[in-house]
Amino acid sequence: MTAATAFAPPAPDGLTLRLRGRVVPVVLPNRRDARLKLSTVVMTLHVLGQTLLDFKVSIAQIAISIAVCAIVEAAVTFRSVGMLVWPASGILTGSSVAFILRASGTRHGDWWSLNGIQFFVLAGLISLLSKHLIRPTGRHLFNPSNIGIVWCLLVIGPNHVFAQYLWWGPSRVGVVLAYAVILLGAVWILRSVRMIPMATSFLVTFAVLIGILALSGRSFIAIWSVDPLTGLSYWANIVLSPELLVFVFFMISDPQTAPKAPVGRLIYGAAVAAVAAALISFQPTEFAIKVSILASLTVVCAFVPVIDAYNRRSRQERSSPTGRAPAGIPLGRRLAAAARRPAVIAAAIVAVAAPVDAAILAGNRQVILIERGQVGARNAQ
Amino acid sequence: MEPQLAETADRTAGPPRNVLRSALSGLGVLALLTSALFGANAGGVRERFLGSETPQARPVAVSRAAEETVGRVPTTPPRATVLRSQPWWQKVGTVEGAGSMTASPLTIDDRAIQWRARWTCESGRLLVRAPSQNRPVVDAACPGAETGYGARTGDVSLEVTADGPWQLQVDQQVDVPLNEPPLPEMTAPDSAAVATGSFYRVDQVGTGTVTLYRTPDGAHALRLDDFFVTANTDLEIQLSPIQAPRTTEEVSDARSGTVASLDVTSGSLNFRFPPGLDPASYRSVVIWCERTKNAYAAASLNPA
Repeated sequence: MTAATAFAPPAPDGLTLRLRGRVVPVVLPNRRDARLKLSTVVMTLHVLGQTLLDFKVSIAQIAISIAVCAIVEAAVTFRSVGMLVWPASGILTGSSVAFILRASGTRHGDWWSLNGIQFFVLAGLISLLSKHLIRPTGRHLFNPSNIGIVWCLLVIGPNHVFAQYLWWGPSRVGVVLAYAVILLGAVWILRSVRMIPMATSFLVTFAVLIGILALSGRSFIAIWSVDPLTGLSYWANIVLSPELLVFVFFMISDPQTAPKAPVGRLIYGAAVAAVAAALISFQPTEFAIKVSILASLTVVCAFVPVIDAYNRRSRQERSSPTGRAPAGIPLGRRLAAAARRPAVIAAAIVAVAAPVDAAILAGNRQVILIERGQVGARNAQ
Repeated sequence: MEPQLAETADRTAGPPRNVLRSALSGLGVLALLTSALFGANAGGVRERFLGSETPQARPVAVSRAAEETVGRVPTTPPRATVLRSQPWWQKVGTVEGAGSMTASPLTIDDRAIQWRARWTCESGRLLVRAPSQNRPVVDAACPGAETGYGARTGDVSLEVTADGPWQLQVDQQVDVPLNEPPLPEMTAPDSAAVATGSFYRVDQVGTGTVTLYRTPDGAHALRLDDFFVTANTDLEIQLSPIQAPRTTEEVSDARSGTVASLDVTSGSLNFRFPPGLDPASYRSVVIWCERTKNAYAAASLNPA
């Protein structure tokens, strides 16, 4: 998640703090900041998860995830700009990690459980590391919470962590309320960051492609379903899942990691959907389907600079009297120069590893046994 | 300036700082590459380092008697599997004698959970000791018939001190699936598969298929293939008149017939019908837990 408005602390409104004899400007939260809106929506869903939706995450896990990310973000910001800035992005990253990630063995209602807390902290730290270190174009490339969660699901693995189920329940009232919060929250936030066309582009492409997979007889197994999900159930449980809607409306819509131009955003939405569907097409388990969906954003984020460059070039061509963009440095030279930069190498590794590792899950016998419930009392979910 | 892998060159910094930054960037990339390989679980590295919920693959048993598993050529190849059964007792051998002696060694499988000796004796006192086990396996007055236990695996030579005749039936407890070949009467020329079905979950996990055979002598037998049900003690195979029961209530409300108790919960297994149980009035097979009164899994019986 971590959507909306670039971090650009304005000149503080006179609020300062004296630290060791040094005057430190303080920037408090701004109620027009879309990140605050998003935090409100996610926290509302957290409350529903704790009260009606049986989410297997504890209040302690949520609080610590948020606290760790907020403190690290505030410290990094203080070090870089010398101001104490309300860590809106860090808070959002922490709450997003806790919203999607689950540590195996956590029971709903065990409010203060610290079970698997190290995985939440790790995911949060990976998120922030990627945000502050992998910046090939001067701004962060990957959606922070997305890369942290994907890293945790793939590297820590299905024996220890999993993502929130696609199916939310058991309370129908809870599910209806969750849909209401998600849809109203989507309109509230996406309008302000002009991401509704992008979300539509994703949803339409994804619905069609998953429909084709459903019609071709694909199925998946999930620990919460007695039978394999096929046909309409396959389609509905993936496309209409509240989890997927949260992903679309509140994660891939982060303006910081999405293309800038409207056309680029349409391409970006459709590309995330296409990569997700391609990875899902051979996945037999819910675990791997969720990882595929999340990993699709990781992959496409790596290509956002390419989409932006394409849009820039198109704009230049349109505005040029000759109909051609001015010749720049040859592509080969630019690629050769970029390939020597550690951030580009890191981004390339992430962009290749995320889909490849997600695809390998299709043959993972353990995930199949876990989803079938065949590992008995030791079931990781 | 924010630390950035991208823009590591701090133009104002001197050479040592640049070297440090380059080294840190290199380490970061290396760590990322390592985690990518870890995430791919190349060579099972992730499970090796972080542990696995699923057990290691082991060869299945092909007989309820251990020596047959070792010695025979099974119909179904003894493939390795990570699936586990409810622990069940596999026969190892019988030793008997009169008076004191050291019995010929019995081989207990290295992967056995424990072993037991079901003993009988007729007179005096019976003392049975196993090597490396302080507590005697049996120390009892005769006549009597009970069970003693041991945990040592490998070749076990029991030292028997007795005043009269005695017998020890030794079984080992294992949790691997059992892949029995079909019963001879199932493959006899006049035998017929009259119904089949596939297991599905009711309250627990159940997978595999069931085949109902009418044998040449007019009796019936069930064969479960590639079967798995959530492990538990006190499971039974029952027949239900309901075509496709989906809940425990549906099963418990209808009159049912018990075929056999289910000691092995994974593999390919055979069960002869008890006398007097006519399958004609039943429509499904149910795995039932008598202790908790739960239907674990079920399979509708459809004409073969």
